[in-house]
Formats: sequence, C-alpha cells, structure tokens
Amino acid sequence: MYTLAEANEISAYLPVLLMIIGAAGFAGANLLFSFILGPRRAGERKGETYESGMDAVGTARKRFNIRFYLIAMVFLVFDVEIIFLYPWAQTFTSLDPMSDSSQIWLLRILFFLFTTLVAYIYGYRKGVFKFD
Amino acid sequence: MSEYIHDLIDWQFIISGVVLMAGVHAVLGLVAYGVYLERKICSYIQDRIGPNRVGFDFGLPFLSFLKGCLALGQPLADGIKFFFKEDFTPKNVDRVLFSLAPAIAVVPALIGFVIMPWGGALDIPAAGDMGAFQWLFGLPGFAGESFYFMFGHLEAQSVIVTGANVHVGVIYLLAVASLGVYGVTLAGWSSNNKYSMLGGLRATAQMISYEIPLGLSLLCALLIAGSFMPNEIIEYQAKHGWLMFSLPLPAILFYICGLAEANRAPFDNAEAEQELVGGFHTEYSSMRFALFFMAEYAHLVTACAFFALLFMGGYQVPLIGLTSPEATGILAVFAKVGVFSLKVVLLLCLAIVVRWTVPRLRYDQVMMLGWQGMIPAGMLMLVVTSVMVYLGATTMFPMFAANIGMLVIIMIVRLALAKAFGRSTTNKRIRMYGSRYYPMEGETSIAAPTVAMAIEDRPVQGSVSTV
Repeated sequence: MYTLAEANEISAYLPVLLMIIGAAGFAGANLLFSFILGPRRAGERKGETYESGMDAVGTARKRFNIRFYLIAMVFLVFDVEIIFLYPWAQTFTSLDPMSDSSQIWLLRILFFLFTTLVAYIYGYRKGVFKFD
Repeated sequence: MSEYIHDLIDWQFIISGVVLMAGVHAVLGLVAYGVYLERKICSYIQDRIGPNRVGFDFGLPFLSFLKGCLALGQPLADGIKFFFKEDFTPKNVDRVLFSLAPAIAVVPALIGFVIMPWGGALDIPAAGDMGAFQWLFGLPGFAGESFYFMFGHLEAQSVIVTGANVHVGVIYLLAVASLGVYGVTLAGWSSNNKYSMLGGLRATAQMISYEIPLGLSLLCALLIAGSFMPNEIIEYQAKHGWLMFSLPLPAILFYICGLAEANRAPFDNAEAEQELVGGFHTEYSSMRFALFFMAEYAHLVTACAFFALLFMGGYQVPLIGLTSPEATGILAVFAKVGVFSLKVVLLLCLAIVVRWTVPRLRYDQVMMLGWQGMIPAGMLMLVVTSVMVYLGATTMFPMFAANIGMLVIIMIVRLALAKAFGRSTTNKRIRMYGSRYYPMEGETSIAAPTVAMAIEDRPVQGSVSTV
C-alpha cells in the first residue's frame, strides 16, 4: 500500500538547496544585524594588527613551514584513494560472499590498498610524517 | 511551471520541509544550550557552580518569578550581547575574505545534519483516510476542506522523516563536513596576523589529516551495513545489533576524528591560548566571532549525530518496539526523534567531559597520532572488514573478535616497530630549560657559578653535576 519515495530523483535534493540558502541567509542576517546594532568607534591604534600589545613586526604574508605543504600533498594522495573506495564498497557488499566475483573484487582492492601502503612507506622514509 | 511545482511537492518534500524547519532551530538551540551545558559541566568538574544568575525576568518586576531558572537565560543573554558589540575590522586585513570567512565557516556546519533520519519511516494515509491525521494535529480551524484542497492530489506514501532523502546519503555529510576547512583557512590568511596565520595553518593541516581516518572508519561501517542510505544503515543495526559492538575500533577512531574535525579539545591546537592567543579568530569580534563559535559547535553536534547514526543505531533502541523501524506511526516518529536527540546529547556530554579532563595534545603529537597511528589502524581495519565481508562473517561476534585481534596485533606491532627503530614507546621528551627533562642523558648541567668573580661573590652552594 505504501511506496517509499524515490531517493535518486533530482527533486530529492531540493531541500538541500533550500537549506543552503537558509544557512547563507542566517549567516548574512547575523552579520547584518551586528553591523547595524553594534557601535562604531575609531581609534589611532585600534586598527593595528594584534601582536600581544607590541607594535607589529612586518606582515603575516611570509613564507611558512614546508611541512604544511607536504601534509596537503599526502592528504590528496590518501583522500583520492578513499574516494575510489566508496563505489567499490557499494558494489562489493552487493556480491555474494565467497563467490568468484567477490574474490576478484577483494583481491583488486587489496592490490589498490597495497599501492597506498607503498606510498605511505615512501612518505615515511622521506620523513613526511615527522613533526618534531 | 506551476504544474512542475505541483509534481515536485510530494509528501517527502512536505515532511522534509517540516523537519528542516524544526531541525535548524533544534541544532541552533543545541548549540546555544550546548555552550551552557559545557559551562555547567566544566564548572562542576572544577568544583565551581558556574552560571546561576541570568533568568528570563529581563529586569521587569512582573516577571520576577522567572529569576534564576538555573541561569537558563544565559545563552540568550550571550547571543543578544554579541549583536550589540562592535563588529570591528582591523586595518591590515583582506576586507572581502575577512568578512566572508565566518559565513563560509558556518554554512557547511549548518547544512550537514540535513540527511539525518531523525524519525525513520512514516506512513501517510491517502487524503480519504485523513481523519486520524486531523485528530492527531487537532488544531482549531484546521479544516479538512482546505487540507484536501492543498494536498488532496497526494497519494498514500511512506516517507523518511529526514531533511533530505538523497541517494548519496552519508557521502553528502562527509563532503559537507570537509568544506568547513575553507572558512578556517580563509580566516587565518585574511586576518594578516601571525597568530591567525599559524592557527589557520595548524587547523587546516589537522582537519585534513583527520578526514582520512574518518573516511576509513566510515567505510568499515558502510561495508558492514551494505548501504549508503542513513535509514537503511539504522535498519541493518536494528536487525543485527549496533555497529558499535561489531566495529568497536572504527567506532573509537570515528569519535576521535569527529573531535579533531570540530577542532575540539584535546585537539584544539588551532586556538591554543598559551601559544597562539585565539588562533584563526584572534582578529574577530562580535557576531563574526560568534559565527565561528557556532560553526565549531554545530560541527560537533553533527559529528555526534553522525556517530549515533552509524554506530549507535540512530533512533533505534533494542527491545523497545516503538523505536524499531517497523513502527511507522506518528507516535513512533516522535519517540524516535526523542531517542535520537537523547543519544546526540549524551555523546555531546561525553565530548564535553573529554574536553575538561584530557589535557591538550602538543601539535606534533596530534599529527603523529593522525598519520602514524590512526591512518594505519584505519587502513588495517578496512582490510580486515573487507576480508570479513568476503567470508560472509559480518555478524556481531566474529567482527568483535576480529576487532579485538586486530587491536592486539596493532599493540604488538607498535612495540616491535618502536624497538626495531630504536624509538621510545612513550612521548618523546622535548628539552626545555628548567623542565625536569632539561639535562638529557650524557649532558652536564651547570648548577653552580663557574666564573671566579661569581664564586667569590657567592660561596659555592652546589657542585657541577653530571646526570
């Protein structure tokens, strides 16, 4: 008697769109009200960059530690790997356990994860994961 | 056009709208009262009373009976105060990004909970049998005539009481949660302040690092549940037991990653007060600061709800028929929403207790834990789970045994690796002058004056010692 609404229709995403608009409106309204209601006072030293009360030394637009860059690169490697795992998981769970196709799918993904392991060991030997 | 809209509005859309309207207010309310709860719990941990003054009397004499009220008016007062503070923009900042960053931070945090199946399935009868429905809502003036006019074309349908019943399910939540890092990065960079810059960099590195074990432990749960749809994951858990018991290790990884993703203590290096003042929001004031705060808390609420959904059976409680997925009446939906919310609040309380009892990790410890501890452990658990899925042994007991076995193997391998590479199994000591670790092995520390004039001035009180 009761049929479940189709979840893969594009109209299912309409509430998400409404929610994004609503959240953006919430943020904008908060900023606007604070802008209207709050006081506004100017001061000679008030606009200075905060540096614990001292005069600011230079700008913050400087070079920073290369480790952050390395982390971002390694993150990309691992995150892209994980993205490939989601469609695999969707198919793998629908296969019969212990069947031939299931075995092939398992061995493929184990090889895929093995390549990740190689990348991890390479990164480890290069000292990417050293933070001290 | 109007026909298209007519087709678009089905029961799922109407229920989604109702859930979103209620859900936004519930999450924002939970954010406000979560802060209150945090202050109360923290004060009891520290043997204080905490907020106990602000009631709802607003200084009006005829409302004086609302004075006190366990200071439940505190979040309201804080919120109002934020509006009346100066929204200051310092001189050296990148103005556009500086104003945009709080909004970019808060939007992903607020839209994440959309896919939570708060109430499970709800059967809605056809317009002809609407009597029971009318009785339940029982609003005066809520005439059946206009109700039929508006929704009369809709058929009987089973809907999911959720914000959006989308097919990608939990992937949407993962994608949205990782968008939160943009606001933090932009805030750190645009402030043109060294504290903000370093805090933003730290927060960015930490958030992207902990996304990987989060994704891996989520994959373990999805492999066992065999579906990406939140409601189906809960139905699986109702049938086969909560995934918390069949996947204890990924569950722990997931909770820790949820804390780290939300920049929560013990992982709040991004705003470590002793080192970086306020971190990425050092230069922010008024409502812009409040939006960052809200985003952080909303992330935490979403993470707790996500954990409850994946590992604690969502709205389901064993042995209580009203909360089982088979119950699809209105009463069952309200019971399920209550149970789900209760689980979220309990997990929130756990996060608060963790925050006020566990000391903050040093930054290198945070990253080491992420990259050298949790990611290999997550990978291992993924391999083990997929092998178990291949063997068809995904019920609770074999999975629990496999988890415990893997935990033992991880501990042994960790010790063996540390021995093999000659590294300490405890935290590495960092030499700081004056700390108890200062004279390291084979070093001399000078505990007495060595210059002749100084010795003359002050007679020797100690000798040069070798530790």
